Amino acid sequence: MRDGGDASAGAEPPAGGATGWGKLVGFAPYQAFVALVCASPRRQFFLLAAFPAIWVLSQHLGPIVQMLYVSFTDAYPVTSGVEPRLTLENYRRFFDEAFYRVPFYRTLVFATTFTLATLVITYPVAYFLTRIVSRRNRLLMLLLLLIPFWVGEIVRTFAIMILLGNNGAVNLLLKWLGLIERPIPFMYTGFSISVGIIYLTALYMLLPLYSALEKLPRSYGEAAADLGAGPFTRFRRVTLPLTLEGIASGCILVFLISTGFYGTPVLLGGPSTTVFAETIAGFFHVAGDEWPTGAAFATIMFSTVLVLVLVFQRFMTSLRKGDTR
Amino acid sequence: MTTPRYTRRRFLGTAAAGAATLSAPAILRRAHAQGGEVNVWTYANFVPDSFREQFEAETGIKVNIRLVDDQGKQFNLLAAETPNPTADIVTVAGHRFLQFIDSDLLAPLDTDRLTHWGNINPTFSESDWATINGNKWGAPILSGMEVLAYNTDVVSAEEARSWDVLFADKYAKQTAYIIQDMMSIIMLKLGYDGNMVAYLDDPAEAARIVEEAKQYLIDRKPLVRKYYDGGAEVQQMFINQDIVVGHAWNGPIATLINDGLPVDMTIPKEGSYGFVYTYNVTNNGPNADNAYTFLDAILASSEIGAMMTRASGFISTYKDAARHLTEIERKSTSFTDEELAGLRFFRAEANEMKYGLVDPAVEAIKAA
Amino acid sequence: MSRGVRVAFSCCYWAFVVYVFVPLVLMMLMGFKDSKFIGFPIKSWTLDWYLGLFGDARILSAFGYSVAIAVLSTLISIVVGTWIALLIDGHKFFGRAAMFGLALLPALVPGIISAIAFRIYARLLGIEPGMFAIIWAHAIHNVPFVALIVMARLSTLPRSQTEAARDLGADPLVTFLRITVPWLLPAILGASIFCLLLSFDDFVRSFFLGGYQPTLPVLIFAELRSGMSPEINAIATFAVVLTAALGLWAERFTRRMNRAPER
Repeated sequence: MRDGGDASAGAEPPAGGATGWGKLVGFAPYQAFVALVCASPRRQFFLLAAFPAIWVLSQHLGPIVQMLYVSFTDAYPVTSGVEPRLTLENYRRFFDEAFYRVPFYRTLVFATTFTLATLVITYPVAYFLTRIVSRRNRLLMLLLLLIPFWVGEIVRTFAIMILLGNNGAVNLLLKWLGLIERPIPFMYTGFSISVGIIYLTALYMLLPLYSALEKLPRSYGEAAADLGAGPFTRFRRVTLPLTLEGIASGCILVFLISTGFYGTPVLLGGPSTTVFAETIAGFFHVAGDEWPTGAAFATIMFSTVLVLVLVFQRFMTSLRKGDTR
Repeated sequence: MTTPRYTRRRFLGTAAAGAATLSAPAILRRAHAQGGEVNVWTYANFVPDSFREQFEAETGIKVNIRLVDDQGKQFNLLAAETPNPTADIVTVAGHRFLQFIDSDLLAPLDTDRLTHWGNINPTFSESDWATINGNKWGAPILSGMEVLAYNTDVVSAEEARSWDVLFADKYAKQTAYIIQDMMSIIMLKLGYDGNMVAYLDDPAEAARIVEEAKQYLIDRKPLVRKYYDGGAEVQQMFINQDIVVGHAWNGPIATLINDGLPVDMTIPKEGSYGFVYTYNVTNNGPNADNAYTFLDAILASSEIGAMMTRASGFISTYKDAARHLTEIERKSTSFTDEELAGLRFFRAEANEMKYGLVDPAVEAIKAA
Repeated sequence: MSRGVRVAFSCCYWAFVVYVFVPLVLMMLMGFKDSKFIGFPIKSWTLDWYLGLFGDARILSAFGYSVAIAVLSTLISIVVGTWIALLIDGHKFFGRAAMFGLALLPALVPGIISAIAFRIYARLLGIEPGMFAIIWAHAIHNVPFVALIVMARLSTLPRSQTEAARDLGADPLVTFLRITVPWLLPAILGASIFCLLLSFDDFVRSFFLGGYQPTLPVLIFAELRSGMSPEINAIATFAVVLTAALGLWAERFTRRMNRAPER
């Protein structure tokens, strides 16, 4: 894509020249502005930090604080004229009842499995696109893969139903080929869930992997080959460590997304594949008036995921540092 | 079907043209161009497009429709908007009234302001569930019920006479149901009051009954293919032949039958529960007067009721609505007297106790 | 690389193409089915569902509305997300981990909860439900994804380049615009695709924060109540074809743009 950008920008003097940049830099108000903003590294930092700090505190934290508050109340929305009481009861329910914890653990296991499966499936695809396909066709072939993702989750999920149903495309094909007599029940199993979820997550893994592999110079691998490293060693010692960044961000993305999935597991899952998002939605959906418990369960979920992601991030960072040293 | 095929929208359009001429005078004479607007939250196709156009043209009131897709979300949205909702009319299932009323979301319905109130079949408008705290809370428009649906190529009508067919080994892994609804049906099947109103004074007995029903479904969990949520799911399962028998609402099954699929439905001998969709005026809505004008207009003609039935598969509450339906539509939206004898309506009085017990039971069944 | 390995990789790619395209093709096919429901067998065919789209103002306006929301919310997410990434990646400061955690928060809350929380919070801020509210919620929800992707790219920016630029007398702002931004461009492009997709496909936030004009997913969900009809498949196909055309055009456009500075 823009691999020329760094090389050329580094080679020529970035400032000056008869371009628009030169004019900008020579423009007096601009100079005054830069002098004001960049007077000291300290000021520079505060100006850089101010907006994100205000944003995350007001926009990211605001709704969460709202949810936290609800999770500690005994009734919400409150019946008029009644003061809500604060309570820990909503959290206790989670620890009291095993049947709430089953979907919770299942979700974490599912998310981990799907993340790994997606990684294994999409890595060769990204590798193929960046290392084997010519630069000319690369973007086009990547865009080809993006097309199906513009179909909404629900419509796509129904398409998977008519693909895998007892009277679906796959079974009809197998029957026509004479391979089976009775249809194979693909639907409402772990298999159908996997097909549906990996479909949704693949993109979120593919793009970070693609961008990590794409910026990795081919010469690295060639140099290693010159030094006598076999293909597997080359991959393990050169390519893999240098794409850890992309792997980490892809994994986090997919993990985040697959813990929150609701529609696909509900539609494609069987009687024993309930995920936690479904349990949480149940408090808003059927009963409709158990917001506090739903909010408490959501808090449990998101704090767990947050901790896991932070630990994972730290682990990947240490791994990367260890490797480049 | 032997009639020429149209797209659904166009089909509705032609039917609506007839309705327009029929119902036009009734609306016009009373309402002299009021202007303003009315905000309606409802399901897709519950307000026929042709009716809406005619109403807007005659009264000058603009109808803003906000599409909702389930009761829970609608409740949450309305609750999040209190005390100043943007909605004037919402669409509530009758047995969920209490939840809305308790949260002060609805205003009592002043039926004297509705000149066409009498067009509703009294079975629905004067039924006991319709009156809460001495007030009427909504105008019934469509009625649904929990039915047993089956693939007629595989399951015989004789087998489908009992809910037991859902748990027959013969059809193992070829059945599906909504657990929440199934809990009420199982209680009824086991000889209890699935509404739990009878146990309001005896919470211990209520808990024991829910436990028994829960255990019944857990024991039979290996036999079920899918616990589902929405009508579109059960329709797709019948089309894909993933199931041959299932519990469902009559609406989605009726539209399957009308489309020519080998599916039929029945109310089994153990009985079942029915519910009614109603239009309700919100508490403190911005255009209460226009809301009444709208309600009165939509109740004006039985043909409007027929249009709603055609689009949703649910049974119209309007007197004589069936007259405007084709034979197959009529067939798919009617039941024999014998079947109807076993039907009772969902009631809301014990809901708090009932769902306090049933919801955790549902989670337990799913996790079992 | 040996020929066998190349072939193996190419098989992986094409197998993946088949995997993602088969449901898509099925969906398009079902748009031609003359019935109220999708599924096999298809007894007769019709063009009505596809032709009907163009006369249906409701669908066209829902599509346009969704696209506008997706584009505007993406612009906001990109600016904010990149900004946050620059702060977290380039500086060591007290509370950096907290900042990272806070930045990720919106992506961690399950859809329904986040939608209700947004709805209540919007009222607190005095934001009326409607287009602006949806854009606001989508933008916040998508910021973490932008931050993550941009951070991944940023961490590989060779410090030597920015330092060289500074040594040559460029002020920090010019250095940022001429070195950092071009380096980040692929990541920003990728992040934009995510944001557009997430916003375009979001149902629950759009439902809770929207007004009386439905977005495409809200419309589809409402229609779904009366069954998954070929009409919904036709709508989805229409959306895919349009976005694919847009994507191709954008690809052509970036190709030309990439070539231009060289000449």
